[in-house]
Amino acid sequence: MKKIILVASVLLAVYSCKKEGAKQENGTETVSSETPKSNNKIVTLNGGITEIVSALGHEKEIVGTDVTSTYPETLKATAKDLGHVRSMTIEPIMAVNPTLILASDKDINPELLGKIKSSGIKAEVFKQEYSVEGTKKLIEQVAKAIGNTDYQKLNDKIDADLKQVQPIAKKPKVLFIYARGNMLMVSGTKTPMDALINLAGGQNAVSEFEDFKPLTPEAVVKANPDVLFFFSSGLQGAGGNEGALKMPGVSQTNAGKNKKIIAMDGGLVSGFGPRLGEAAVGLNKLLIESTK
Amino acid sequence: MKAQSKLYFYLTLSTILLVIIAVWSLNTGVYDFSGASPYKILWQVIKGDEGLSLSDKYVVWDVRAARIIMAILIGSMLAVSGTGLQGLFKNPLATGDLIGLTSGATLLAAIAIVLGGYFKQYLPEVVQFSLVGISAFIGAFLSMMLVYRISSSGGKTNVVMMLLTGVAITAIGFSITGFLIYISKDEQLRDLTFWNLGSLAAATWTKNIVLVTVLIISYVILIPKGKALNAMMLGEKDAQHLGINVEKLKKQIIIIVALMVGTSVAFSGTIGFVGLIVPYILRLLFKSNYAFILPLSAVCGSILLLTADTFSRSIVQPSELPIGILTALMGGPIFIAILIKFKKSL
Repeated sequence: MKKIILVASVLLAVYSCKKEGAKQENGTETVSSETPKSNNKIVTLNGGITEIVSALGHEKEIVGTDVTSTYPETLKATAKDLGHVRSMTIEPIMAVNPTLILASDKDINPELLGKIKSSGIKAEVFKQEYSVEGTKKLIEQVAKAIGNTDYQKLNDKIDADLKQVQPIAKKPKVLFIYARGNMLMVSGTKTPMDALINLAGGQNAVSEFEDFKPLTPEAVVKANPDVLFFFSSGLQGAGGNEGALKMPGVSQTNAGKNKKIIAMDGGLVSGFGPRLGEAAVGLNKLLIESTK
Repeated sequence: MKAQSKLYFYLTLSTILLVIIAVWSLNTGVYDFSGASPYKILWQVIKGDEGLSLSDKYVVWDVRAARIIMAILIGSMLAVSGTGLQGLFKNPLATGDLIGLTSGATLLAAIAIVLGGYFKQYLPEVVQFSLVGISAFIGAFLSMMLVYRISSSGGKTNVVMMLLTGVAITAIGFSITGFLIYISKDEQLRDLTFWNLGSLAAATWTKNIVLVTVLIISYVILIPKGKALNAMMLGEKDAQHLGINVEKLKKQIIIIVALMVGTSVAFSGTIGFVGLIVPYILRLLFKSNYAFILPLSAVCGSILLLTADTFSRSIVQPSELPIGILTALMGGPIFIAILIKFKKSL
């Protein structure tokens, strides 16, 4: 027993010395090098952030993206798809030799974040809020991170687009269904879909909970939406409009009876980047059509 | 004495194999060192070379080397804990994951993460790790006591009871952990994949220091117990007559196995079947001679897990396969093989 205590205490002592040393090293690493703009190699780990960087004219500097970065499509050829942020590991990110990593606080897994922070590569994790103000703030922060001050035009475009949203007299109740394989989830509040539905002049049929919850037939009937809202890819996977109408509980709702089903591109809906205004106008048009 | 030199021969052989696999593993990965070899970079890191690029150093030292060492440590502890349990229960089916120790550890680790979230930021990193680690140990220990109480009477183990208790603990652990993950928005909880299939992606040197400490403490006590476990095979009474303190031995095994399983689970989730596969293969070679299979399982467990982990991070680049899928793929058939072999005696 004495031996063990001795060994353990020696190890602990060694370890604490090590840790001190590590701290000092890290202290010097926080100094970010001023890289010239054209030499930036950026990894963007969020669809909206990817769009902002591209819209600011830096698309060529993006060397890696996550799976949600579907726009602009030209990125497919030039940037490496690093997969899903939930299951991503550090080495594939390091493999594209980035000088800057940009991510959203919404979806990144904490272990990957820890690894990114200790990798010594300059990284910015932005707080993302699903609102017009939040998007403008994000655009401003991303622009500063990549050394571009010419971002006002993006914000102006969002405002100009949003002006085209026409108010709808009787706000339709919209239920967003996230269909992935056999899992059906519905969107509560504090999600990108919830924010977009409100911007587009509709109202979320669900107000009882935040985030996504599994769809239950009773909850669908109780929410009684006027319109069902899907990602285009999700609707396809669920068997199109036919499949959507067969979903549990749907036939008992206004949306089911009147066959009001709409779908939009997932990246456009959930990006909350420079195309936010476009997305709101697009959804607004679909909602107006479906309330006729 | 001849047996002793035979043991050293096999130990040396398997250690050499482990080193070869580690060398191969260090060279495996998507990062490109722009022409240089990772070995050269590792040498520069060890020498403390100033001119090294930060990224190169980070990938070799903090990503690959840390992960290789973690695989070696956890693989070793899982295999030895399996061997120790099989000696204690006198049954080749006793392993941490099958009798519910890992589930108990997972459950308490998850609870510690949820509750610890409230005051975590005020604690230094070492204490944070130990908090989850200690909870996982307590979880493993309580499960172990439960299984042992329910399945053993008068020095005999009822295997069916042992496995069913494991099933029950696993079911309870799984449901509560699932519930915690469902209600908690705490990113710290990771997700069910980590807790059910394990991952070594989060390896750091800090964790490795903790693991090494636990490993050394455990092995100093457990590894020399091979002869005593051999005597236990004769029956506890006979072992007593040979001058072995059976009760003390049992207590030691219970605490040390819980410690090893708990720490491993806290850092790498549930990586199943390592404690089943390694002793099984060693038994085929050396019968149930614990003086041989205890020390050898320490090295062979590392070989197994390091190989599995290197595959898991290179098969589906740039992402990776949960390592538990690979170990279960190997372990499942062996589990069935053991069942068939012992059909009569179970």
